[in-house]
Amino acid sequence: MTFLSDDLFRLVSEPIDAAALIRHVRASEDGAVVTFDGCVRNQSHGRPTLYLDYEAYEPMALAKIREIAAEMHAKFPIHRVAIVHRLGRLQIGETSIFIAVSAPHRPAAFDACRFAIDTLKRTVPIWKKEYFEDGAVWADGELPPAPAEASRAKPAS
Amino acid sequence: MRVKVLFFGRLKDIVGRAEDSVELADGALIEQLFAHYGARHPELARFRASLVASRNQEFAAWSTALHPGDEIAFLPPVSGG
Repeated sequence: MTFLSDDLFRLVSEPIDAAALIRHVRASEDGAVVTFDGCVRNQSHGRPTLYLDYEAYEPMALAKIREIAAEMHAKFPIHRVAIVHRLGRLQIGETSIFIAVSAPHRPAAFDACRFAIDTLKRTVPIWKKEYFEDGAVWADGELPPAPAEASRAKPAS
Repeated sequence: MRVKVLFFGRLKDIVGRAEDSVELADGALIEQLFAHYGARHPELARFRASLVASRNQEFAAWSTALHPGDEIAFLPPVSGG
């Protein structure tokens, strides 16, 4: 039985300690740990990047990350999950997000890790601003799916 | 009724603040709250189709009714990771 309390979710302003997260998820019943290390690229659409600033709607972002982990446990036979996103200013090459997933067998760990980063990029309220030599822009992102609108039809009276 | 309003990313830049508190008529919808700011910031109104709203940290439809003390946020497309 896996308990969500074994998982670890954080938004941090300091550099992410990837090795500590791997140690956190890894246990003697696991046969695999799969990780995703998202790092700051030196260019965007061919334009050299100087650095990035990340900001988040922190309580909602953490809640959404917890929901992703709950879905991971529901969909895949995995053991533990660690998801840490860094906020604030990040330099080229630094890690902005680190995900570690442990599982008894590797297919679930690979699938769950992929699911985590893909879902996070669509649903978690975090934004990055890219700084270039000649200015800064908010990165193009993905619009999270919103609940369906209520019908505007008024009941006949 | 009074609600708290948060702006993130480029929306914060447009409105010039990250947080506001506003008095609305009882029964107002998120749509009407957005119109309140859209009227003051035409550039914000233009982003209507490419943002989502949240109510008390859950994504919410534009037709959602507001309640006193709600925390509403307007969220541009997300770009974490």
